[in-house]
Amino acid sequence: MYSCGALRRGWGHCAPSPILFFSLLLSAAPFGLLGEETRQVSLEVPTWPDVPQNLLHIRAVGTNSTLHYVWSTLGPPTVVLVATNTPHSVLSINWTRLLSPEPDGGLMILPKDSIQFSSALIFTRLLEFDSATSDAAAKPPGKPYPPYSLAEFSWNNITDSLYPATLSATFQGHPKGDPTGAFANGSLAFRVQAFARSGRPDQPPRLLHTADTCQLEVALVGASPRGNHSLFGIEVATVGQSPDCPMIQEQHSIDDEYAPTVFQLYQLLWGSLPSGFAQWRPVAFSQEKAGRESALSCQAFPLHPTVAHSLPQSPVVQAFFGLQEKYCTFNLTFGASTGPGYWDQHYLSWSMLLGVGLPPVDALSPLILGIMTVALGIPGLMLLGAGLTLILRCKHASEYQSIN
Amino acid sequence: MEEEEEEAQALLAGGPHEARSGAPAASRALSAVCDPSRLAHRLLVLLLMCLLGFGSYFCYDNPAALQTQIQRDMQVNTTKFMLLYAWYSWPNVVLCFLGGFLIDRVFGIRWGTIIFTCFVCIGQVVFALGGIFNAFWLMEVGRFVFGIGGESLAVAQNTYAVSWFKGKELNLVFGLQLSMARIVSMVTRLMRPNSKQQVELRVSLSWGGVTCILSLISALALAYLDQRAERILHKEQGKTGEVIKLTDIKDFSLPLWLIFIICVCYYVVVFPFIGLGKVFFIQKFGFSSQEASAINSVVYVISAPMSPLFGFMVDKTGKNIIWVLCAVATTLVSHMMLAFTMWNPWIAMCLLGLSYSLLACALWPMVAYLVPEHQLGTAYGFMQSIQNLGLAIISIIAGIILDTRGYLVLEVFFIGCVSRDALLSVVLLYLVIMPGGGNLNYSTRQREEMKFSHTE
Repeated sequence: MYSCGALRRGWGHCAPSPILFFSLLLSAAPFGLLGEETRQVSLEVPTWPDVPQNLLHIRAVGTNSTLHYVWSTLGPPTVVLVATNTPHSVLSINWTRLLSPEPDGGLMILPKDSIQFSSALIFTRLLEFDSATSDAAAKPPGKPYPPYSLAEFSWNNITDSLYPATLSATFQGHPKGDPTGAFANGSLAFRVQAFARSGRPDQPPRLLHTADTCQLEVALVGASPRGNHSLFGIEVATVGQSPDCPMIQEQHSIDDEYAPTVFQLYQLLWGSLPSGFAQWRPVAFSQEKAGRESALSCQAFPLHPTVAHSLPQSPVVQAFFGLQEKYCTFNLTFGASTGPGYWDQHYLSWSMLLGVGLPPVDALSPLILGIMTVALGIPGLMLLGAGLTLILRCKHASEYQSIN
Repeated sequence: MEEEEEEAQALLAGGPHEARSGAPAASRALSAVCDPSRLAHRLLVLLLMCLLGFGSYFCYDNPAALQTQIQRDMQVNTTKFMLLYAWYSWPNVVLCFLGGFLIDRVFGIRWGTIIFTCFVCIGQVVFALGGIFNAFWLMEVGRFVFGIGGESLAVAQNTYAVSWFKGKELNLVFGLQLSMARIVSMVTRLMRPNSKQQVELRVSLSWGGVTCILSLISALALAYLDQRAERILHKEQGKTGEVIKLTDIKDFSLPLWLIFIICVCYYVVVFPFIGLGKVFFIQKFGFSSQEASAINSVVYVISAPMSPLFGFMVDKTGKNIIWVLCAVATTLVSHMMLAFTMWNPWIAMCLLGLSYSLLACALWPMVAYLVPEHQLGTAYGFMQSIQNLGLAIISIIAGIILDTRGYLVLEVFFIGCVSRDALLSVVLLYLVIMPGGGNLNYSTRQREEMKFSHTE
């Protein structure tokens, strides 16, 4: 299905074939990273008096493992993902420590030795570029405006937008200080959804999800852009366990059935598989009704090491991982200087999948297999029939002649 | 014959004279250009004929070359974009029958040509205005008006060619006109905006308008020259000679219907695919816009030289069904390669170009073997008509599939059309023809023997 094409800007390595993955997986994968068909998923909002409810704990329990996704808007929006090899691991929060200026050790998954994998993504800044200048003065995406630091946003109470039935919740925020009034009628939302089993959403880009994954949809709605042709982007930081930055891998597929005309799939892999991954298609949408006419391209720039003090700090990350010296960051930008864009309807949405284990792989749909079987089967049979008829006819003819 | 001898003498006589002195030669050349019985004059007419078709060929593929721009700037989805092609095909479902009749009985070739060119011109102007004022509906209206003129103009062009070149350089002329069409298609596809500015869309559309006006001028000039030739040579006004009797349709045999099915199912996997192909090559294979345009036009580029070559080959060997079978099978392979592999798409598109040229040479003449001569006009008219109907419908369906399910499903749909319908029909045709001993699949020698025994 997938092939590793020429990787742009020299990122990453080619991934081995899925079959190789499976054999590796069966021999060496720790329990926590083995995928499970279904999981018992629970959404929990730990609370503490006088603290805004801005921590969401998604616990996905399987037969041999538990996955923890801790989403928080304490500081910039952050997710800590942890895989353990026991169905009994739990999240422990020391609130006084977490809320202190030195939150190290405020967040723990217990028992500690059950942890097979842990990492985090921090959405640090909302970027804005003037794409009108992208040709002349600056390289695409254009001349940058001062970014919005997401640590300086005020976020809603997460219990207000928690939907246990769909296993989803939405963090919605706007800048605390907004002198220009850009966010007077606008907001930035992080919609998080977990899944108990595999499936596929109805809205493009329709990424295949499994019980091991979580979906994040980032939506910017109603905010006034600072220019007529503003492009937006987002800066993402990650911590990893290895000294090098994780890699972004671009996969080419022949299949665009679920995201029409998008043949690429990007994957951020924390180390060799199976480990944690983030997966997205390079497409964003400029209308609530996501479709071809509102599709924007999405560019991902390579990860690069960044020193900690140049980034807004996330207390949750420091609470779990301890004080970090170095992060790896990358930018995502949405759209191009022409065509549909945020300026059409002041709407932008983009989604990604976050998970642990093997990234889901699309297979040819039954529709395609069905049509191909019928399309090639019938003429094949007919050709066979025609061939047989011919042979028989020739035989008859030769017998007839021989009698003559 | 007399004319030809005269001409040959004139040419022979011209040679030495010209060698001797310059000035008389110039005036002689001038008079040769003005003399309708001379080759030089006919070459002038040929140039005008090629220019006549220039506008409509140039503008037919205007939407495909500007697909990204149109979809971006007007924010229409592919379903709506493909309506631009469908609107061209709709009027031709009817006009394929009427074109010949209108030229022969109502307008005459001269006025017919002028009127059809006017339609092409007005259509393109309206289409361009739609582009300039960002009104997609206006573009659709433009394409409809353009469609009224487009195909009938091709009939008129052929009629002119027959009336001026019959018994002389006719095959060459047809070949030249066809190549002209292909080259122009290629030029359109290559000539696309480099810059992202919307200004480029306008410039491109306006160029289309200019070529159409050039066509109109050619039509007027041809009308004048044709009338002049009639006065000087007492040449009759050209006629298509097509007799269309719709009641003949009920007499069409099963093999003929199978040929129609093959025709429709085959052409719908070539033209709508090319109409949508550019984005496919950009997105799936990472081609640049120029490269994508080039590969998308390679089918036409290949068919320009290959059509006459394959025509010659099929003429020599006969066995049309086998050739059609080869063409359909090759197309199937090429679409499978495009759909399921990441192999260099140049291979698949070249195969498609070859098979398209082969099919055109092998399929269309088969009708002539199945239908008595007096029904030939009706049969060809009907074939073109349902081909246009198929193109109109499939263009819309292809757009819908692409918007909702993407290119892979679209390709699988095309594979279904080629394989299940076209390939199946060829096999059925073979089976139907075999017991009856029809001469569709005779080799040329067999056909000659048949003819010989008939004449005896």
